[in-house]
Amino acid sequence: VSEYRIAVDVGGTFTDVAAIGADGRLSYAKAPSTPENQATGVLDGLARLAERLDLSLPALLSRTGRIVHGMTVATNALIERKVAKVGLLTTAGHRDVLEMREGLKPERYDLRLPRPGPLVPRDLRLGVSERLRADGRVETPLDARSVERAVRRLARARVGAIAVCYLHAYRDPSHERATRQVIERLYPGVYVSLSSEVLPQIKEYQRVATTVVNAYVGPLIERYLRSLEDALARQGFDGPLLVMLSHGGVAPVAEAARIAAGTVLSGPAGGVAGARHIARLMGTRDVIALDMGGTSTDISLVLDGEAALSSTRAIAHEPVALPSLDIITLGAGGGSLGRAGEGGLLRVGPESAGAVPGPAAYGQGGRLATVTDASVVLGYLDPGAFLGGRRKLDAGAAQAALASLGASLGVDAVAAAEGVHRVVNTHMAEGIRLATVRRGVDPRRFALLGFGGAAGLHATALARALEIGRVVVPSVASVLSAWGMLASELRFEAIRTHIGETDSLDLEALEAIFAEMEVAGRTRMGQWFDGEIECRRSADMRYGEQIFEIDVALEGLELSAPGARTALKAVFEARHRALYTYALEDQAPVLVNARVATVGRLDGSPGSPAADASSPASRAPGRVGPAPPRRRIYLGGWLEAPVHDFSTLSSGAAIEGPAIIESDTTTVLLRAPDRARVTGQGWLDIEVGADD
Amino acid sequence: MAEVDPITVSVVQHRLIGIVEEMGEAMLRTAFSQILNSSRDFSTAILGAEGQLVAQAEHIPVHVGALPSGVAAVREAFGEDIHAGDVFLLNDPYFGGSHLPDLTVFVPVFVDGRTVFWAVNRAHHSDVGGATYGGYNASATEIWHEGLRVPPLKLYERGERRGDVLRMLKANVRHPRDFEGDLSAQIGSVHLAERRLGALVTELGVDVVTDSMARILDAAEAEVRRIVSAWKDGTYRGVAYLDDDGRGHDDIAIRATVTVNGSGLTVDLSESAPEVASFLNSSYANMRSGVAMALAFLCDPGVAKNDGAMRPVRIVAREGTIVWSKPGAPVAMSTSHCAQEIIEAVVGALSSACPDRAMAGWGRRLRIALKGENPRTGRPFIWHMFHARPGAGASPGGDGWHGAGEWHSAGGLKFGSVEEAEVRFPLFFRRHEFRPNSGGRGRFAGGAGVDLELEVETDRPCVANTAGDGARHGARGTAGGEDGAPHRYLLREPGKRSRVLGSKVEGIPVAPRSRFIVHSAGGGGWGDPALRDPGAATRDRREGFVTGPRIERGARR
Repeated sequence: VSEYRIAVDVGGTFTDVAAIGADGRLSYAKAPSTPENQATGVLDGLARLAERLDLSLPALLSRTGRIVHGMTVATNALIERKVAKVGLLTTAGHRDVLEMREGLKPERYDLRLPRPGPLVPRDLRLGVSERLRADGRVETPLDARSVERAVRRLARARVGAIAVCYLHAYRDPSHERATRQVIERLYPGVYVSLSSEVLPQIKEYQRVATTVVNAYVGPLIERYLRSLEDALARQGFDGPLLVMLSHGGVAPVAEAARIAAGTVLSGPAGGVAGARHIARLMGTRDVIALDMGGTSTDISLVLDGEAALSSTRAIAHEPVALPSLDIITLGAGGGSLGRAGEGGLLRVGPESAGAVPGPAAYGQGGRLATVTDASVVLGYLDPGAFLGGRRKLDAGAAQAALASLGASLGVDAVAAAEGVHRVVNTHMAEGIRLATVRRGVDPRRFALLGFGGAAGLHATALARALEIGRVVVPSVASVLSAWGMLASELRFEAIRTHIGETDSLDLEALEAIFAEMEVAGRTRMGQWFDGEIECRRSADMRYGEQIFEIDVALEGLELSAPGARTALKAVFEARHRALYTYALEDQAPVLVNARVATVGRLDGSPGSPAADASSPASRAPGRVGPAPPRRRIYLGGWLEAPVHDFSTLSSGAAIEGPAIIESDTTTVLLRAPDRARVTGQGWLDIEVGADD
Repeated sequence: MAEVDPITVSVVQHRLIGIVEEMGEAMLRTAFSQILNSSRDFSTAILGAEGQLVAQAEHIPVHVGALPSGVAAVREAFGEDIHAGDVFLLNDPYFGGSHLPDLTVFVPVFVDGRTVFWAVNRAHHSDVGGATYGGYNASATEIWHEGLRVPPLKLYERGERRGDVLRMLKANVRHPRDFEGDLSAQIGSVHLAERRLGALVTELGVDVVTDSMARILDAAEAEVRRIVSAWKDGTYRGVAYLDDDGRGHDDIAIRATVTVNGSGLTVDLSESAPEVASFLNSSYANMRSGVAMALAFLCDPGVAKNDGAMRPVRIVAREGTIVWSKPGAPVAMSTSHCAQEIIEAVVGALSSACPDRAMAGWGRRLRIALKGENPRTGRPFIWHMFHARPGAGASPGGDGWHGAGEWHSAGGLKFGSVEEAEVRFPLFFRRHEFRPNSGGRGRFAGGAGVDLELEVETDRPCVANTAGDGARHGARGTAGGEDGAPHRYLLREPGKRSRVLGSKVEGIPVAPRSRFIVHSAGGGGWGDPALRDPGAATRDRREGFVTGPRIERGARR
């Protein structure tokens, strides 16, 4: 009876809900997000979805096999810093690792930048008498009395969670585990986060920071997910609630609450998962996903069909070294402000008009020119039809804002508006180029996937600047995230440090570590999942003198086979060459960390969502519809361009630029040599012309 | 030439900044040595035909403002003999360089037969020959002791690599493979810029691009002038003292007389002490860089780092002084010291002209390099201390950052993991925590320095060098704030009493199981300590940054 699979994506403004029926049909609904308790918005969204399907909420939920959930609870807690106090126990003599930040300070030239407070203030960071050596031997045994003293102090301070991170605990967790027993005895009920469980890998700053973030958001995530689970159960849902994690996989509630720091990118991860799925359906392996919103633009890469991961993420300046989707955020969006800088040069962003007052055209009191206002002045946005008419735009206010900006630049409003577009596009194009170069790839071979309300107006210009030939704009852009979550796999990530050079590494011990992690992963996932489980091995490796490791896939490599050392060296060298153009054959690389990803494939991925009744693909093919209305737009000069309604275009329809294509979530601009084709899924597949 | 519109200028500026950042990324991904690929001690820049700096990536501040002298040296050396496909190289502080470890690669970018840009990459190499490993030789009394001097020369001639020159260079350094790898990374990065600049010119036309560059410089100048014109007119004096020259002379003065006149500044350093017989001397370019850093730190952080920003500044200095030594004097330490004292003197002078901007001094650099044999591998090792970072100065914006390092890198130098260091070296970190009472008191307190207790776990004796300053003079307090505590470095050999280490000593014998006990300097305080917010004062004690009896006393300055 598990007829439906549902995804719920909580965004800043809206909570999007998507369901796929047994027939593959996609339905979706939207409700306002409720930041105080996101569960309210989730249930509202589900209720609206049930309504669209002519079902009661309990009827829908009782026929639902699973719910996948992307949320921003952890991210918001880190940004707003509204969580209960956290205490930290460390090796005595090393309690300041967290606040030293490896000696780094952001904003190189801002020497008046106020120092932020660490997540755990110094008086709640307590040293404990214990010490392991680098080889795992005990230098100083754990002194139970010193632990008790420290825990009592934290209990008196009424901390809501305790993080424990001892030096070299990745080698041996016993001191941290013994410490947990003391905590449970003296301060029962407090949330405990051990570094040897959260991130058992070398490099104490990344480990302590991640363990502390875990303690910081853990109690909150646990409470939130449990209460949502209960609320859903009360409405008749008895399937698993799966949580979208930062690495793009999903996991059940217990697992997500255990490594709560792994949920900090839960929200945006859905969008990336959607991009990955679209890339697969499009038959292309390499995609740049561009999610352009009001204040910022998120960029992520799908390389060879997989979303790129990174372990160097920071959320609200707090590093989280768990494997996470590599999402790059640029400070440019529809609300970015244009202004005349010194010397009369035009600057756009990073300041933004935000949601309030928003662009001048929103009529909420904003007077400064934003990118959105420029789009109104240039005729790209229809004041009456923005967001399907849900928000009326004040064209006069936009005109006045751009005229005022133009006056300070010595040009008219239209030239100022065009300038705002050119500058913001240049800024974003350079940002995308850097993001790709940084990952060792050339942007030209990618397709650009535009989603997020503002992307459609900028995607073709960005593609042109980057010499990218193909842009895809999906029709279901706003529910892309929710839909992408349905295509995600179950995924647990495990890591263990095991250091050695390839020519002297203890391969037997390494094999044992891998095998142990695999058994643990399979066991934990097998407790409630009876589908096919696969384990993927990889390793973090580097040359001895380097500081940064690279991630090397070890699939198919037999560690017990003869020649394993040579093979290990060879896979590292191939990866190093691909990233850095060279390898040092006369040096034995060092293996630092062993990683295992345990993956469970969920049945019934959404496949091709050619489904919703209003989707273009369900109409007769090849039709552009009745002659579209025309509107004056500015593309180097004023011209009359046809304005197509995205929802009336049928699959196979071809449109040549210049043209505007509007839907109730986005507006797409085609320039002169661009050609768009409507795909079978109802998306715009745009071939970008070489020149204006 | 038609006036280019302000929008196109902005587009060109974004593109140029994009290019220097992309050069930096390419460098980061292809460089061999750790100092480049993790500490990012390099910079990438685009200069105009006459060597005016137009765009520079924000890596290490000490390189800002030093590159134009390099292009000037190349143009002077080669005159008309500059052609497409040439690649130039230099490191000589007396011919456009800063200090010998910094090798600078230049490519002239030609359009229609004339140079329109220079793409430049300056990078700190881990070794450039000379009497000691690693470039910092406290015993050097002349530049020839510090390494190989490379005046401007051609590494490529019209696209052809000069193998003979490369072989000569490699023969003179200790790690020729790393040297060539890092040099190749530098060359790759300037060639990348050449391609990207070519595309920019093809797209917009050479006149639009060159005119835009002129406007970009004008805009930075206008922005600095706007800021400076709000400063109080007058003539101000500032002085900073180096501890000693390592040759028996103490309290070496760097004196700045700064005149604010409307929107312009004159920085006169000519009353600074005569040059010394050790590595603290500065080349002209490095001195200019010190002034540029001081200005950048006082202006708004967003001001473009280009030569337009330096136009309102006139520098007066005298050859033969420590800030501009005569050819032949050693200079290896100068990118830290005396560059940092130049900043301290200039900022100190201007603290009366723009009290709402001037920050207190940051801690100074004091390196330890340890050389010995690792008993676990039987192989030799060299370890450079980047731990125990000193504290940052307080500012009108608030308290200084704890352990954020020296002024010349301003929080941009990362120290490695203690766990990694213990795995790789025969070292045991007994303690590495903030140093109480080290930040200068003030309405805003200086950032804390760090206490480090490090045990050397070798079987045989090792040798250590120190190089730096700040063991006598703490980071300067300002606006009534107190100075930070100076560095105090000790060595305790087994069975002996601990002894204080000097800041410029070569060849210190270190017995097995000895301990280094390092107390690094705190940052300077800002404002009268009596005005410190009582809540913040309570927090200082609760968090253990301030300990001991409460002493009420007025500001020292």
